[in-house]
Amino acid sequence: MWAQLVNTALGLWLMVAPAVLSYNKIGADNCHITGPLVVSFAFVACWEATRSLRRVNFLAGLWLLAAPWVLGYNETLPIVNDMLVGALVFGFSFVEGKIEGSFGGGWKAIW
Amino acid sequence: MSSEAKEQKPPGWSYNPSAWNERIPIVILAIVGTGIATYLAMYQLRIFKTVWEPFFGDGSKTILNSATSRILPIPDAALGAISYFVDVLTGVIGGTNRWRTMPWIVIIFGVAVGPLGAVSITLVILQPVLYDSWCTLCLSSAVISLWMIGPAMDEMLASLQYMKRIRQSGHSSWKGFWGYDEVINKVN
Repeated sequence: MWAQLVNTALGLWLMVAPAVLSYNKIGADNCHITGPLVVSFAFVACWEATRSLRRVNFLAGLWLLAAPWVLGYNETLPIVNDMLVGALVFGFSFVEGKIEGSFGGGWKAIW
Repeated sequence: MSSEAKEQKPPGWSYNPSAWNERIPIVILAIVGTGIATYLAMYQLRIFKTVWEPFFGDGSKTILNSATSRILPIPDAALGAISYFVDVLTGVIGGTNRWRTMPWIVIIFGVAVGPLGAVSITLVILQPVLYDSWCTLCLSSAVISLWMIGPAMDEMLASLQYMKRIRQSGHSSWKGFWGYDEVINKVN
């Protein structure tokens, strides 16, 4: 659960980062879109029955690593920020953490 | 509607997701969400002349009067209030075995909670991207709707697993979904 709380915090940081660092317009938009998505998947993944949603942030992390180059950021700090946050989100999305409850086979058992 | 035997955990579960201590927190969140969304809708309908905004200046005004908020015939916060109220009702209805005695209400509950969260997140994204503003109470509402998803999904999971056991046992999924006794009494 702590790993998903960290990713939630990282997503919140992305949402405020454009107000703090000198992002260009497209970089700011990217933070304002990717941030809430990271928050959503990480926060819902804090609960054990929906922990597997953490894996969606694997894609968000990869995207953040590529975004400065794909979208053409022109300042160093936003580039470093996106790549650092991306690497962390990517890493923490792999951490399943402790699952204490049991759920009758989980989501695989509904088909 | 059905024989309410003593409380049961779903097979293979360590707890009962339909127990009141699992559901009451979600219902409280949904009640708070209904309150916030109703307040915002009343501003959008000009029943209130101003809206509370402690952090972002004219942010709430900009967002609540934006073109996005008027896409539908009723203000978007009014739609939010209705959705939250559906969550309150579908959270309260049914006893502590409702994952098997009333799969329909649990599944409506899960389906109502999911899209409400998705719409809230979309609106959170649109605030800065389209209007360069934030709205404190809109963000609060989004947090609440997101907060309900995790706790609500486990119960829906239990009902969906139950629906699968009905199919495997050869009983009618239709009757099981609506909680007919003839299915409840034969499928665990």
